[in-house]
Amino acid sequence: MRDKFVVALAVAAGVLLAFNLYRIFLVLPDEALQGAIYRIIFFHVPAAITGMIGYFAALLLSLAYLSFGNFRYDSLAASVVEVSVVFSVVNIVTGSIWARVIWGIWWTWDYRLTSALVCVLIFSGYLMLRRAIDEPTQRARLSAALCVFGCIDVVIVWKSIEWFRTQHPGPVLSIRTGGGRIDPAMEQMLYLNFAAILMIAIALVLIRTRQEATAREIDSLRRIANAA
Amino acid sequence: MDARNFTFMFYGFLAAWLIVLLYVISLARRGARLNRELEQVKQLIGADRASEPARLEDRSR
Amino acid sequence: MAIELRTKESINAAGAFAVVILLLFSFAFDPGADATREIGGGLLWLVFAFAGALIFNRGFARELPNDCLDTLLSSAVSGASLLLGKSFANLLMLLAVEFLSLFVFGIFYDVRWWLRPLELAALCVLATWGISVIGAVFGALTVNLRLRELMLPVIIYPLLIPLLIAAIEITNALFSNRPLGSYELLWGRVLLVFDIVFTALAMALAETILVN
Repeated sequence: MRDKFVVALAVAAGVLLAFNLYRIFLVLPDEALQGAIYRIIFFHVPAAITGMIGYFAALLLSLAYLSFGNFRYDSLAASVVEVSVVFSVVNIVTGSIWARVIWGIWWTWDYRLTSALVCVLIFSGYLMLRRAIDEPTQRARLSAALCVFGCIDVVIVWKSIEWFRTQHPGPVLSIRTGGGRIDPAMEQMLYLNFAAILMIAIALVLIRTRQEATAREIDSLRRIANAA
Repeated sequence: MDARNFTFMFYGFLAAWLIVLLYVISLARRGARLNRELEQVKQLIGADRASEPARLEDRSR
Repeated sequence: MAIELRTKESINAAGAFAVVILLLFSFAFDPGADATREIGGGLLWLVFAFAGALIFNRGFARELPNDCLDTLLSSAVSGASLLLGKSFANLLMLLAVEFLSLFVFGIFYDVRWWLRPLELAALCVLATWGISVIGAVFGALTVNLRLRELMLPVIIYPLLIPLLIAAIEITNALFSNRPLGSYELLWGRVLLVFDIVFTALAMALAETILVN
């Protein structure tokens, strides 16, 4: 049942992506100032938002694990963090390529880039910590604690580096600015692609969670085998 | 300028897709490995259960 | 803490390490007086962060032989008090290393750090407390891990970034003898928020972190 859902989700995401790509390349015009390179934004921004949503979800799941002790929360949190790190890396790399053309530099210590990098570092540490611990309960507990600390730190990092440095383009989505800073067709495309990327992310998380459950099953079967 | 623009746009899309693709491949390989391990452990348990009566007899002596 | 005072092994090691790093940095760039004053803060706080990792690694690891850690955990002392105690011990040790480093820094780099002693002292205590709490929490978390010495720095440095930026900005202002304007006070607030939030979080999660 769940497998069918994952497959259906992946197929739907694929179809939406194909439709979006058609529109991105063949229907939408070039941006006045940036030329063709602006189209990266349709992957750059949704990947960033997906990553952020993932980290926030991981925070809630980690708190849930610490409160209730159910391993499913831990598996879900680990899967969500892993997929979020992947999409955050996509965000940073695509942003870097865009910056090379528009700003002439691969990287700058602007607040959004720096905060994004710090996010990736913190949650890569989370993934490394998980691999370093074999015992499941200890692993779940420690990674949940790190996730909680990490997510709260991300908020502080975000705000503090924002005061520190600003070069990245400001907000353009009309939900934040009230309209007028981006072409409506482009904005709609952004939301559509965000939906596609979110669906892919959810499918990947579900697959990964299933793998965590399998790993737990192997672990418990091994204990039974050893005890016998 | 325009040609460079298009080239980099292509690189950007390539990078995004490649990263996700690499992750999906690693996920697939990990899944296959886990399934193999699961089968192995299940067989191990099955073999253990088959030899259990013999062992019990050994212990009771 | 008593063990530490008797043997001083951590402080010695961390102090020596700090001096060596300061020496190495002097080769990395030419320590002319003006430039040093602007980047001196960054230099120092990086050195303190590295020395801190050395101290935190030893913090809980010292309890491992002879099951001291288990005894501590099963005693009547609450988890929160244990963490607070460890943080306080870390704080004192790191402050000692910082004081030594400031002396050496002043001599090697010709920076007059004693011009604003009260503000510098307040900054050091606040920032070092933040580092100590994070070090205590993650020192406890990683005590049983194989790759403890590697995992601890990898985990705590990204978390410490806002604190380090704040400390560096304020230190640079103090070394250049600039008055602390609204920019520096903003960072002071970040420092305070960091300390309060993470101390509270550590207390709240203490039992979870320390259960073995």
